[in-house]
Amino acid sequence: MGPTRPAGDFVVEFEGVDKWYGAHHALRSVTLGVARGERVAICGPSGSGKSTLIRCVNGLERHQQGTIRVDGIPVDGTGLGLAAVRRRTGMVFQNFNLFPHLTVLDNLTLGPVYSGGEPAAAAEARARLLLDRVGIADQQAKFPGQLSGGQQQRVAIARALMREPSVMLFDEPTSSLDPERVQEVLAVMEELARGGMTMLVVTHEMGFMRRVADLVVFMDQGEIVEAAPPELFFTQPRTDRARAFLGQVMHL
Amino acid sequence: MADARSFAVAGGGPPQPPPPVARGAVGWARRHLFASPFDALVTLALGLLIAWLVPRAFAWAVVDAVWYAPDGQACRAATGACWAVVAEKHRLILFGTYPYDQQWRGAAVIAIFVALIGLSSIGRIPVRLRLAAWGAGASAGLVLLLGGVFGLSPVGTHLWGGLPLTIVIFVGTVAGGMPLAVLLALGRQSEMPAIRAVSVGIVEVVRGLPLLAVLFVVSLVFPLFVPPELSIDKLVRAILGMIVFFGAYAAEIVRGGLQAIPAGQHEAAKALGLGYRLRMRRVVLPQALALVVPALLNDIIRAFKNTTFVAILGLFDVLGATKVALEDPAWVRHAPEIYVFIFLLYLLFCLAFSRRGMAIERRLAARKR
Ligand SMILES: Nc1ncnc2c1ncn2[C@@H]1O[C@H](COP(=O)(O)OP(=O)(O)OP(=O)(O)O)[C@@H](O)[C@H]1O
Ligand SMILES: [Mg+2]
Repeated sequence: MGPTRPAGDFVVEFEGVDKWYGAHHALRSVTLGVARGERVAICGPSGSGKSTLIRCVNGLERHQQGTIRVDGIPVDGTGLGLAAVRRRTGMVFQNFNLFPHLTVLDNLTLGPVYSGGEPAAAAEARARLLLDRVGIADQQAKFPGQLSGGQQQRVAIARALMREPSVMLFDEPTSSLDPERVQEVLAVMEELARGGMTMLVVTHEMGFMRRVADLVVFMDQGEIVEAAPPELFFTQPRTDRARAFLGQVMHL
Repeated sequence: MADARSFAVAGGGPPQPPPPVARGAVGWARRHLFASPFDALVTLALGLLIAWLVPRAFAWAVVDAVWYAPDGQACRAATGACWAVVAEKHRLILFGTYPYDQQWRGAAVIAIFVALIGLSSIGRIPVRLRLAAWGAGASAGLVLLLGGVFGLSPVGTHLWGGLPLTIVIFVGTVAGGMPLAVLLALGRQSEMPAIRAVSVGIVEVVRGLPLLAVLFVVSLVFPLFVPPELSIDKLVRAILGMIVFFGAYAAEIVRGGLQAIPAGQHEAAKALGLGYRLRMRRVVLPQALALVVPALLNDIIRAFKNTTFVAILGLFDVLGATKVALEDPAWVRHAPEIYVFIFLLYLLFCLAFSRRGMAIERRLAARKR
């Protein structure tokens, strides 16, 4: 372990991670740890590598240098490690990415039943509980296309929770929602946070970060520029780049 | 600032009903048939053509037609159609050279096939059950035709003919060709260059050949390279050729469907821990195939019509059997009647397929809102 790494129980660890798209250096020696039971928010201008970072956690993108671990398991090219990592991570996308040909209930049970080998009845019972928790128990027989964006995203959160992940990854979960739908999704996420879920969230929702984030990570051009608790980051940003970014976002 | 010269007047009054539209037959005709001088011209021309054609066709097909002529005598004098020829030859056309006293078995196969097509019009039956029904029907049909068990006398495939043969070839082609198409389409998107190259190669070569050439290769050239003790039944070879041809075309259609599935679907499935096979089987293929149902249906209908090509290999499908039937000198003059009958037969089946296809499309559309 490098000297910069503090001791502790980290669900997600990045150690000197580099990633290139062709010649473009998309992640530049990224090092960070998400402690169990904490929430880390990532923000930064468009193209700064936030999605790339979060997608490296569950191997949707492959990093080229450094180490990424989830629950101590290295994320590498081998299928076994990747499967184990994906079992421990739940991911929520900006565009929901629900399966449109399956009902809400089947969207939730697909993974556990076919990949996890869970009996269908047991998976469905758990799915109903989760749908109830995100407030859409009455929509379970509908298809995703019949739901509003906010409802779809709440289904997506429930779907990601089905494997009882060690960490939930959110990539701009409210960015493609109508403004009046944002709060219902944030409320579900905050409830998750209160339940002690470990979360890594790419977001620009200041209020959400202030309320639940333990650490705000600011990225620009593929590198981590600043990392601080929200009250500190929002009131006393240390770098010009962070100040410029906050100036733009706060006055949206 | 100077006053704007643009202006707008406020107030439009209370809502009012729309202006009246000409109703009834006259209104409909004016809107749809005589909307412009050109429309009127086309309407008139088509009207004249219909007025000329319909009475003539009706006279030939119905008024002057002969329906019953046991020896063809009455037909020779008739000015209209001789439908008696259909009555006389229908067994030969429908069942070919299949043993005469066993032709009920062929009739049963036709009945099973029609029932299965009808079954697909009933919504709410899960795909798995549908496939099981087709599998059971196909097995029953093969047992019926082949015989040799359950007290059925054995009948070699060289004696099969007519509509049952057409159905066997068609069902075999689609049943074997669809999985092949999916494999080729997936292979073409594979990350492994060897698999990609093989898939592209098969698709491009087969698409570049006429069906007749494929059939000749499979059934005449292929046997030259395999030892005689391995030689496969002529019918099986014909079906194999049809499968490869169908698979190559349908593969490109399926590939189009695969490409239309957004990357997010793959990613969401991966993030849920689904491996390649589950991802394709449960997430990607169901959506991709649903998208291309209309195009696939086109190929399926063509596969039904393409069964006629096996006549070239000496297999007597409906059309082949018809040619044999017309070799009878007593009836040879009445080829048009027979071909009208065949025409209607094919039309009936193809219409049934496209009706089913539309039903499937409606069912899939119902999922979206
Ligand atoms: N698949 C790819 N191929 C090539 N370049 C890519 C690819 N994905 C992302 N990039 C580039 O990498 C950089 C980082 O992209 P990334 O999507 O991680 O940014 P982001 O911070 O999530 O931005 P946004 O706020 O717009 O979502 C960008 O310059 C982007 O153009
Ligand atoms: Mg992004």
